[in-house]
Amino acid sequence: MDSEDDMHDANDAESMDDDYYSGDTAVEYSEDDDDGDDDGDYEFDNDSVDSDDVSTSRRQQKNYIALKEADIRQHQENEITTISTVLSISRVDASILLRHYHWSVSNVHEVWFADEDRVRKAVGLLERPVVRFPNAKELTCGICFESFPLDRISSAACGHPFCNLCWRAYMSTSINGGPGCLMLRCPDPSCGAAIGQDMLNLLVSEEDKEKYARYLLRSYIEDNRKTKWCPAPGCEYAVEFVVGSENYDVSCLCSYGFCWNCTEEAHRPVDCGTVAKWIMKNSAESENMNWILANSKPCPKCKRPIEKNQGCMHMTCTPPCKFEFCWLCLGAWSDHGERTGGFYACNRYEAAKQEGAYDETERRREMAKNSLERYTHYYERWATNQSSRQKALADLHQMQTVNLEKLSDKQSQPESQLKFITEAWLQNVNVLVAGGRFTTITATTTTTTTSIIIIAIVAIIVECRRVLKWTYAYGYYLPEPEHAKRQFFEYLQGEAEAGLERLHQCAEKDVQAYLGPEPPPTDFNDFRTKLAGLTSVTRNYFENLVRALENGLSDVDSQGASSKTATTKSGAAVGKGKSGRGKSSRAGGPSKNSDDHGSWTCDQCTYFNPRSLPACEMCHQPRRNA
Amino acid sequence: MVFIVRYVVRLKPKPVGDFLLCVGTAPGISASPSEENMRYFNVMILGPSQSPYEGGVFKLELFLPEEYPMAAPKVRFLTKIYHPNIDKLGRICLDILKDKWSPALQIRTVLLSIQALLSAPNPDDPLSENVAKHWKTNEAEAVETAKEWTQLYASGT
Repeated sequence: MDSEDDMHDANDAESMDDDYYSGDTAVEYSEDDDDGDDDGDYEFDNDSVDSDDVSTSRRQQKNYIALKEADIRQHQENEITTISTVLSISRVDASILLRHYHWSVSNVHEVWFADEDRVRKAVGLLERPVVRFPNAKELTCGICFESFPLDRISSAACGHPFCNLCWRAYMSTSINGGPGCLMLRCPDPSCGAAIGQDMLNLLVSEEDKEKYARYLLRSYIEDNRKTKWCPAPGCEYAVEFVVGSENYDVSCLCSYGFCWNCTEEAHRPVDCGTVAKWIMKNSAESENMNWILANSKPCPKCKRPIEKNQGCMHMTCTPPCKFEFCWLCLGAWSDHGERTGGFYACNRYEAAKQEGAYDETERRREMAKNSLERYTHYYERWATNQSSRQKALADLHQMQTVNLEKLSDKQSQPESQLKFITEAWLQNVNVLVAGGRFTTITATTTTTTTSIIIIAIVAIIVECRRVLKWTYAYGYYLPEPEHAKRQFFEYLQGEAEAGLERLHQCAEKDVQAYLGPEPPPTDFNDFRTKLAGLTSVTRNYFENLVRALENGLSDVDSQGASSKTATTKSGAAVGKGKSGRGKSSRAGGPSKNSDDHGSWTCDQCTYFNPRSLPACEMCHQPRRNA
Repeated sequence: MVFIVRYVVRLKPKPVGDFLLCVGTAPGISASPSEENMRYFNVMILGPSQSPYEGGVFKLELFLPEEYPMAAPKVRFLTKIYHPNIDKLGRICLDILKDKWSPALQIRTVLLSIQALLSAPNPDDPLSENVAKHWKTNEAEAVETAKEWTQLYASGT
């Protein structure tokens, strides 16, 4: 991939150093290190698995190409040339033939050499006219039945004569009727001769010619098994996919990531079926859900959503329930009176909660989980992550344009070069994230690289939000009885979410100081260390999450026993937490290094803290053997 | 209008008013344009012999839309008919009236095709689900019903 090399060049130009925390290099991708020296530093996870993963993701990097319009034309032209040369037919005929066989060169070869006559007949490529009028001076149009001199009559390869006016109307009707015009045949009902673009171009208006050409181009993408349009609104690029590849996540040049299989937004590690079900459910329920959430409370007895349409707090549910309750505390109205603080400002809830009298309500809530409430839970979180992602995406675009401009002024580097470097980065972020892997950041000295790092981190955040979002769809469909799996999943998801929240906060809010006109140079080292730590921690969590979901949480079965004992002792989450933590501190290639440079890893949350701090900035755990 | 006039001329070599035209080329079919609207034709098709519709005179209407001849004419049975490819509103399921239309087809060929459809009902591509079912499960009985309907509604009175 060109961009990778370019990126290396760009980094080289900034005196790139392989050392992780040496202070010169901007960002490292473990997969990109050809020499492999650094791999040790990034071994965050099961070592043997990891090397496999690297080779997989290398393969995955090449399983699709994004195509611009010019590329599409080029591909199409090339294939037409191939067929035209190999079969010794005209380019127009080759184009008709290819379209008929869904632009598959190999397919055309196969059928053509198996039975040329049959193919010619099916496609409508005649070798000689079926009717001839050798001595005619005038011919009768087969549509309007007027006689015309020969120069006002046209015919396809079959020779059926129609006047140019009728041809024009015939073609124009077909072109305006949609892409079916690509399969236009001679109007004679008994004839199947194909009409090619060459003849069409002689007879129809400029506007129709253009429409036809556009349909032909679109056909190359739409009828082709290995290409699809990027589904992003307004995007005109297409993606060519190596059919049979395992990883469906592709990323268009417009930076939109989508699933090649179902063309929904990229949703790895959640499968297409789950995503489709979820989207269907959302489209059916989301609007209801939003309204219900905003305007109603569930009846405490029957759980039906109730809208309060009058001022009084005394609610009566509709028959058959007819339960009378208080809108404020959702308790039975019969318990209300002056002693609860009055009918209209009830304080019963607080009192009852203290006495533990609300267990019954809680239990009912638990039971109602299957219905609306359960869905709401997942939907809210899915939707919130979606909007956080949109926000991060907006930030990303803003940074790419505004900040780079500012920087380019300050650093007197051409903006185009900065943009170029950033794009190279983002390209890699996408590739890596698509492979379930994330960047690791090292420290830097220049503001330029800082900005680029931050942009890259925001890109990571965008991708993490996406993964996180889809895990909520996954969670909704995870079977309730699979208790161990559910606990494991929720633990992983919780960790990943917490990590991402910290990182997002850091990259969104704390970063502002450093993007100002005069970044504070003293604090900066601390900040970048913090970012580096948060990013690697978050990366680690997401890798675990993605991997676990991809193998269907199968780890649970093997760890079931230990999980159970952990549950009896102190809750499954803690038990799992240990293994998670273990991984993170092994992740600590960097932390070994970092001792030299002063940062230290928190034992509890794995956060990288600057040396100056005696306690973890994240969880306030005091530093061990300081 | 040029188109229509040419069609009418082709279809009706004899002067307007002669309803049973083209006896040689299209026996049992007539079409005449309405007095008020030259695009609107009153059509009559005789039930083909050796079909359940034999002896019946079926009235149809035929309308040439603005886009004609690039778009197919609109044809509908006005006489009630028991046929798997014709529904109770008289709409006809015939490929050349839909996607297989070609501007080189003529009113004459369209009407001939409809006549042929009466001779050879196609219950596998039905428009009227019930009639088609009847046709497939008990053809003899269905044919009887078709004959009865022809007697009842298309006896030409």
